[in-house]
Amino acid sequence: MRKRIGTWLFRAVVGLLVVFLSLPLLIVVATAFDASGAVVFPPEQFSVRWFGALLERPTWIRSVLNSLFIAGGTTVVSMIVGVAAALGVRRFSGAGRTAVVGLTVLPLFVPGIVIGIVLLTFFSRFGLQQSYLAIIVAHSLWATPLTFSVVQASFARFDWHVAEAARDLGATPRRAFLTVVAPNVRAGLLVAALVAFVVSLQEFIMTLFLSGPDTRTVPVQAWNSLRQGLDPLVSVVSTILIVAVTVLILAASALVGLDRLATDT
Amino acid sequence: MSTGTGRLSVPALPERWRTLLLLLPVLLLDIGAFLVPMGYLLRLSVTARTSQGAFVEGSWSIDGYRYVASSDLVHQIFAFTVSFGVGVTLLAVAIGVVYAYAAWQAGRAGRIALLSVAVLSLFTTLVIKLFAVVLVFAPQGVLNDLLTGVGLLSEPVLLVDNLVGAVLGQLYIVTPYAILAVYAVLSTLDRHQVEAARDLGAGRWDAFREVILPHIRPGIAVATVVSFTWSIGAYAAPLLLGSGSEQTTGILISELLLTQFDWPAAAALAVITVTLVFSILMVILWRFDESGGILNA
Repeated sequence: MRKRIGTWLFRAVVGLLVVFLSLPLLIVVATAFDASGAVVFPPEQFSVRWFGALLERPTWIRSVLNSLFIAGGTTVVSMIVGVAAALGVRRFSGAGRTAVVGLTVLPLFVPGIVIGIVLLTFFSRFGLQQSYLAIIVAHSLWATPLTFSVVQASFARFDWHVAEAARDLGATPRRAFLTVVAPNVRAGLLVAALVAFVVSLQEFIMTLFLSGPDTRTVPVQAWNSLRQGLDPLVSVVSTILIVAVTVLILAASALVGLDRLATDT
Repeated sequence: MSTGTGRLSVPALPERWRTLLLLLPVLLLDIGAFLVPMGYLLRLSVTARTSQGAFVEGSWSIDGYRYVASSDLVHQIFAFTVSFGVGVTLLAVAIGVVYAYAAWQAGRAGRIALLSVAVLSLFTTLVIKLFAVVLVFAPQGVLNDLLTGVGLLSEPVLLVDNLVGAVLGQLYIVTPYAILAVYAVLSTLDRHQVEAARDLGAGRWDAFREVILPHIRPGIAVATVVSFTWSIGAYAAPLLLGSGSEQTTGILISELLLTQFDWPAAAALAVITVTLVFSILMVILWRFDESGGILNA
């Protein structure tokens, strides 16, 4: 009897945690579809008119474009850096490897607010504060350890003798990589790129300090309007972001399975 | 072998140089855009404070640290931030262990459901999460409406604009990291070990304590470090969901930097915060993580 109560208690706690984690997001989505301007739940009248209203607000459109551009830039930078580093440390073992891995993960252990103000003060010496470059570099600091670890994990699963065989048959390293290695680790590379993209899309604290009126991303724009009171457009934009992230995660887990996505990153 | 055009001359390089070339981007990024700026922060923290601008170029002074050491307000804020960080970390790690264990021992469908909720929450921007917390926990929010509606409460309880709100918001930010850090390690545990323990007569709880808990120590270490790093740097959650008395070091640093233009003091405070986080990281690495699991997380 006691055991059964324990089991039910455990289930109740887990159920509560699931609700705690997921319900608020569902509520945000639901409020986006309400006709009235007030942010209410449950929605009283279904409507998509706020999605139309979004299109008439240039600051929001701008922030969406900024987010996409910065996430794209972060993906490119952190993939180049991550893939090169994963190839570079492949022959390393012991201290050399630990040093490179340690260097890449270091920024993850510094609070975002500190990196934000550090890069703000540093980049402003060169007049680069509020630039796309500053934000992309900042996001890459956090995206690179993830692309690096995901790519490394898929390299570890690849049989490198095949690549050596290609080299023996006369392929250049670049050709061997593109025609033999890349197709085999394609899923891993794609997932790494998706993760980098999503990390950049959702990053907020560093961007808050590094962006200006022209380079604001969606989270920063949402924050600014939340500070002034509830705005139905925040629900709308949040919904778009949540759906976009869900689609990207589904794509990534279809590629490698949710289990690996949850453990590799 | 190589066709020898300019772009393809890389293969002709000796092995050691090629490795270096491959590591160049990562060294450039992490040294140029992280270590050097961190060094600059350190330098800023020992410049003289001035009312004519942000700091005195080229000067040396420990005024920033002296201000941090002598101001009662800073002490209060710092003490609050540390206890806030510790409290949130304990809660987040406890939730992470329970949740990860539930996902691990659930069937396939249950595991997918639990993990996707955690992953989705992980990848949702914290601004949306905090906005959601407002919608749910505000006096006119969903939860209070529900509880007063069914008659459990006669009037709404205040769950935002106070410490509860700040903690809820911060938990919402860090818990997904804690869950996945523990799960990543737990997923490597051989189920047969637990079955063997059960067969030998261990109860569910004993099996958990004797087999699972020792195995997930590195995961707990990672969860602790990540949760603590995030909570000690808490900014958005206490600002949006706390009241004036939930001031954190992060809020203070940004105020010193952006509104008071006191860069040496802001830098000194940031240096102290980073030092604190890294000391904790070192202690945990040394105590819990013999295998170096944190660096591989």
